[in-house]
Amino acid sequence: MNESRISRRTVVAGGGVAATLFAVALGLTLPKLFGHRYAPTPYDDLLAQLVDREEAARVGAAVRIAEPGFNAKAVARELRQRFEQRNLAEVSDADIREGRLAEVNGWVLPESLAQLCTLAAL
Amino acid sequence: MSAFIDARTIPSGTVLQPDLAIIGGGPAGITLALALAHTPLKVMLFESGGMDFDAKTQALYAGKVSGVSYLPLDASRMRYLGGGSNHWGGWCRPLDPIDFEQRAWVPYSGWPFGIDELEPYFKRAQDLVEAGPWSYDKSNTPMSEVAPLLALGDGGVYTSWFQFSKTRNSVLPTHFGDRYADDLRRIANLKLFLHANATNLRLSHDAASLDSFDIATLNGRKFSVKPKTTVLALGAIENARLMLASRDVAATGVGNANDLVGRFFADHPIPRDTATLVSFAGDIAGYYFSAYNLNGAILRPAFAPRDDFKRSSHVLGSLTTVENPVELDDLGKAAIVSTALALGVDATNAKAFSIGCGLELQPDPERRLTLTGEHDSLGMPRLKLSNHVSDDDFARYRLTMKELGRQLLAARTGMIRLNYKTRAEWVSALDWGDHHLGTTRMHRDPKQGVVDANTRVHGISNLYVAGSGVFPTYSASNPTMNLVAMTLRLADHLKRVMR
Repeated sequence: MNESRISRRTVVAGGGVAATLFAVALGLTLPKLFGHRYAPTPYDDLLAQLVDREEAARVGAAVRIAEPGFNAKAVARELRQRFEQRNLAEVSDADIREGRLAEVNGWVLPESLAQLCTLAAL
Repeated sequence: MSAFIDARTIPSGTVLQPDLAIIGGGPAGITLALALAHTPLKVMLFESGGMDFDAKTQALYAGKVSGVSYLPLDASRMRYLGGGSNHWGGWCRPLDPIDFEQRAWVPYSGWPFGIDELEPYFKRAQDLVEAGPWSYDKSNTPMSEVAPLLALGDGGVYTSWFQFSKTRNSVLPTHFGDRYADDLRRIANLKLFLHANATNLRLSHDAASLDSFDIATLNGRKFSVKPKTTVLALGAIENARLMLASRDVAATGVGNANDLVGRFFADHPIPRDTATLVSFAGDIAGYYFSAYNLNGAILRPAFAPRDDFKRSSHVLGSLTTVENPVELDDLGKAAIVSTALALGVDATNAKAFSIGCGLELQPDPERRLTLTGEHDSLGMPRLKLSNHVSDDDFARYRLTMKELGRQLLAARTGMIRLNYKTRAEWVSALDWGDHHLGTTRMHRDPKQGVVDANTRVHGISNLYVAGSGVFPTYSASNPTMNLVAMTLRLADHLKRVMR
């Protein structure tokens, strides 16, 4: 009868795979556990377009100072129409093409981006 | 080779009688003298200064300035042989075709001819300013082989090119006095007088022609010149001064029956750091900052509004250059990160640069020179410049910059910050090009211009004006090469009419 034996090589390889899987899992989970978590807002569907919400909020804060009457609901309604089946790059392209630009403390940005940034700063 | 004549040695009371007198030895006067060399005309050129700067002579320029800040009148000019070329930066660029057009959104616009009238003279003008082979806006392809251009999306702004007058000893561009002194001495039909100040233009009794003009020197000599034809080439400011101050026959001054002499003064505002340009990729080609010698053409790019954008957006000319690297604040960094991420561009190496520019002003009759009650040491009334810049002039340039920003975004190349919004911000950053323009504007109608299409003073049969003072609108292009071309055109006219 043959004795089933696990070779040393198999143990090392298996351990390596397990460690890799663990590291990947950790990488995926940790940011969710310890990364910046934002309180829910009525605009999360739109804010999901932003890759770096913190930097966007910094831009948006400047808009809020310049435009104290910023109407978030109306802007969100307009943005939802623009974003229908389109992503931020596509919407920005359309803004640029059509000359819809905003000035944020002098910085010339696609208007929709500036509006998203402002929603991020609320 | 004949020596120049020191007017301080001419006995008082002398009367000189050339065919043609040129008053002023700057780029226009020297160009005209060179162009009329070896013709049958007996030409005399009268220059106030000598071969070098002299404080007492320079002080004759002093005057007052009111309104928007401007350099003192004795600091923005040079009063010795070579004139303004003694302190120019060598920047050259031809006028654009639209500069000659009557534009509905530019009051008082419209030259009496199109660019086709000047084109035959550009090549010779280019040679005289020693700016190398004519390349300008044909430079995109060869320069992009040196290093990539900053890509712009389609739109109203394009990459234009300056060329530079040849540097000498790696420092200075062509100074007409130094550069052409020997050529002038070799001209057999020319006598050039130094230290000779024209102080009065004397009209005939019917005011229909110039009879003579007076020359005075700082050592007290006074003599007169009685030419067949005279060309004023003193620069836009001093031409107006001499015409306004000459009141023997015409009470309001020579050529000033319609109160136009001295009006429409212009220069190119050069506000500092008007915008910040960001390159997402980081470094940009070195030729954006310092001129690059491409087979003898010394080139530097500038962003300029296209003619169709000028028409659609009602903007005026401007030439925008990239200047120095600048640091950004947190908001700037956030704007770049957010924009680059939105566009799907890597901006981890992004760099920011300040922007410089020269602007065209809209013509304004109230931006003007008038005589004051003060007099210089030769008894000439001094001038006052009333300087204005309208808010529209700034707003129009801002539109062009915003369009440039849009095109950078469209190309995913970079972005722009517009640094000034209020008039106070613009004015606080204002420098000037020392490009004096417009005080003896050209127009077919005597009620709208001091000189006609041949730059002859309306109503005076034998008096002409050379230089950028005759430009009815100003372009954003630096004037020297263009005024040299205009002077070559005048030389051809004089050759025809003085046969």
